[in-house]
Amino acid sequence: MKYKIGLEIHTQLSEAGTKLFCDCDSNYRKYEPNTNVCPVCLGLPGALPVPRRNPLKLALLVSKSFNCEIPEFMVFTRKHYFYPDLPKNYQITQYEKAGGIPVCLKGILKYFDSDHLTWKSVTLRRMNIEEDPGKTEYSGGNILLSEYAYLDYNRSGVPLLEVVTEPEIPTPRDARKAVEYLLLTMEYIGAINPRLEGSFRVDANVSVEGGERVEVKNIGSTLDLEKALKYEIFRQSKIVEEGGKIKRETRHWDSIRGVTKPLRSKETEEEYLYFPDPDIPSIKTEPLLKEALSSNFMTPENFMNRITMYGVSQRIAWSLITVKPAAELFLESVRIGSDPKITARILAIDYKGLLKKSGKNIYEKSNWPNKQILKLLSTLVSNKLYTYDELKYNILPKLLENGNDMNLVLPEKVEPTNLIISVINEEKKAVEDFISGKREALDYLVGKVLKKAKGKAIDPKTIRKMIEITLTKH
Amino acid sequence: MKETAVSILENIRKGSLEMEDYVFKKLELIRKKDNIINAYISIDSEDFILDRINEIKRNIASGKKMKIPGLVVSIKDNISTNFLPTTAGSKILENYIPPYNATVVEKILEEGGIIIGKTNLDEFAMGSTTEFSAYGLTRNPWDITRVPGGSSGGSAASLAYGSCDLSLGSDTGGSVRLPASYTATVGLKPTYGTVSRYGLIPYANSLEQISPMARSVKDLALIWDVIKGYDEKDATSVNNNYKSDNKFKICIPKEFIEESEPPIKSTIYKLLEKIENEGVAIEYEGKFENLKYALPTYYTIAFAEAASNLARYDGKLYPISSEGLSYKEMSENTRRYYFGFEVKKRILMGVLALSEGFINDYYIAATKGRRIIRDEILNMTKNCIVASSVSPILPPKIGERIKDPLKLYAMDIYTVVANLAGVPALAMPAGFYNNLPIGIQFMAGPFEEEKLISLGSLVEEITGLYNLIAGD
Ligand SMILES: [Zn+2]
Repeated sequence: MKYKIGLEIHTQLSEAGTKLFCDCDSNYRKYEPNTNVCPVCLGLPGALPVPRRNPLKLALLVSKSFNCEIPEFMVFTRKHYFYPDLPKNYQITQYEKAGGIPVCLKGILKYFDSDHLTWKSVTLRRMNIEEDPGKTEYSGGNILLSEYAYLDYNRSGVPLLEVVTEPEIPTPRDARKAVEYLLLTMEYIGAINPRLEGSFRVDANVSVEGGERVEVKNIGSTLDLEKALKYEIFRQSKIVEEGGKIKRETRHWDSIRGVTKPLRSKETEEEYLYFPDPDIPSIKTEPLLKEALSSNFMTPENFMNRITMYGVSQRIAWSLITVKPAAELFLESVRIGSDPKITARILAIDYKGLLKKSGKNIYEKSNWPNKQILKLLSTLVSNKLYTYDELKYNILPKLLENGNDMNLVLPEKVEPTNLIISVINEEKKAVEDFISGKREALDYLVGKVLKKAKGKAIDPKTIRKMIEITLTKH
Repeated sequence: MKETAVSILENIRKGSLEMEDYVFKKLELIRKKDNIINAYISIDSEDFILDRINEIKRNIASGKKMKIPGLVVSIKDNISTNFLPTTAGSKILENYIPPYNATVVEKILEEGGIIIGKTNLDEFAMGSTTEFSAYGLTRNPWDITRVPGGSSGGSAASLAYGSCDLSLGSDTGGSVRLPASYTATVGLKPTYGTVSRYGLIPYANSLEQISPMARSVKDLALIWDVIKGYDEKDATSVNNNYKSDNKFKICIPKEFIEESEPPIKSTIYKLLEKIENEGVAIEYEGKFENLKYALPTYYTIAFAEAASNLARYDGKLYPISSEGLSYKEMSENTRRYYFGFEVKKRILMGVLALSEGFINDYYIAATKGRRIIRDEILNMTKNCIVASSVSPILPPKIGERIKDPLKLYAMDIYTVVANLAGVPALAMPAGFYNNLPIGIQFMAGPFEEEKLISLGSLVEEITGLYNLIAGD
């Protein structure tokens, strides 16, 4: 059954430094309740919003990255609704129908489909900047069980960028890839940290052929987005196949149960009394954009082009790009002469794997070796001092242990034949076991050889092969 | 007693006037008279004032240059102060002490002013008589059976009975000029953007300015010099170095005077004749085509912005709050019980003006009307200062106007145009009729405050009507 998917992605510009209209911190998570506030973001009478340059510049860079039509002026509007966590009971946004002008009018979200290693695109309807409300917390965990509700305005006024696509995304998987690419781009620009709790949320709308549009609200991860969409398409298709009708409604994604639930049926047009905010004169975009573009930034697509130019496959390149410090390190070290393919393999696969296994944060640049070390490592292999596997099994783990110390003592190379022979002579029982067909015995023998080599450069795969050959000859 | 703020300042600087004596005499006067006039909502404690005086003396001793050291200033209670409650004349903000000072308050403190108290106003500045205050009405010191005008009636009255030297009001559609004309004081509505609105509790953001008041144009110039200037905390604030020349011509669009009550008309024409005799060119052939659109345009925009600005008072962040079983109930009750009738009426009309299906015919139409009026005014003030009545009527009796909203709103007909166009306008005494003050308004082009002050100084020399204190 045919269907259409459109998305509204709300991203928090947590890396902007300031809130949208005051100098409080955009990264509000580290503060005690109601300590990251001022008269402006508390909406106190008489306090006035003054647009801060950094959030606007970041939003313009995102717009620029997706080929947006950027209007000459931005105009902020007020959207009114009564809610405890909204201090002024209106939100300052950029609704375009009430005289507002958003930061981006129409653009193209070009994204990388890593399953099929191809670029795809979806049309963007608009992007607009707005302020985040505060937060309500309940003493008993939820509204029904609680005697009290607590209001925390630390988040109030944090800049949000809302990105709206046309309803033309072909599959739930594509929706996920598109959002992941958007977030990655914003991370590269330095606008967001997508790994912060609650740093983005997605509202998705789905309509199957012959049915009305259903909106699924508050999806908090890209994995959930894919799941929610799959579920919703299945649910709607089933109703249509059974002769039922899909009515226009808003649903809520229950990520624990993996189902969508009705939130409010029959969406009445709400009355938000939009009008241009008289406290904020229209803002010229050109000088801001100029200032923003003066600091060079690269999108993931730029990285993809550069990295693959060095002969690295798209698959490995993408694996580098998904971890920004790895992609940056790659280019830095190749620029000073590292071997591209070896460096890519270290960064994208083996060192990344080691970091993950040791529980270190792969998004933290200081957890990675620096470009000089990478150059040295790649030279060891390209000059045939070590095989890649010797590097992988002996040098990389040591490097991690030593905290990426440059004064790494390189392991001595050993000729493994003698070691193997002595192990075979000592471990009669294991040898017999292996010959009688117990494969586990081979692992044991490899282990014994490695133990004898005591930290010298040795490649377990080669050892394994050598033992196997020796014993089969017997 | 022709004691002006200018002369008092001189005496303080010379050391011939003891600051304590002077300020405490003012406090005594307030204690004696304010229970009848009710110009103030809150007054500083004596201790607070003593501390303040000592601070100013220390600053003087250390050689700090200040523009108004020791002068007594009253401030309208919709301007935020972190040392006195700021209620905006509303029950809903009772006991609210802002955690910050308005920019103008900071400036006055910096320049040595003594802020003695906060003055009464129509609730959220919505009114033209100061009868809509939750803290009781203010009486006109010249005739206590009459209103002082509004919404800055408390500021005007506080000057008129001599309780302070200078005052700050706010002017959204005539709110300092109307009271000035009703109390024989002076009020200047500055060019939009020349005085920071940071800390002014908003009624209609795109129209209003914090506005200085005094008992003479020369005194007014003192406080104007303190409060004007760009402020990065206000995005609508302008950075301007415009210097106006002091050559002036006056023009008079008939529509701006003709509909006034006869004593007002004749007083103004007589004064204009005298001004002309002093060598100022006057052109009587002016026309203002779109005056009839001014009031509906003004009120539509003001109500729409007010509806939005007042949404925040729902009981969650300010001391006053009703109980309710849910947020909805709590906020509805708070707004039902603690907003006054006039405020609720204006909110409702503002909501209507912004609602789907109405916004084009009301709010959008008004913004278009505003552009037409602004263009006409800008054109008119390009070559001359526009003279007019301030109010079409003499100060009304208490209770007389608020019975009929249309009559009440019509009091602002001559003043709202300056707010719609964003241009400066000065109201000052023109004469008296049956012991009731009559004012005249001069409206100039953007940033021509200095020109207005020069003309005003000349006019007060001509009339001799300055530093008038009711009951002296
Ligand atoms: Zn803040």
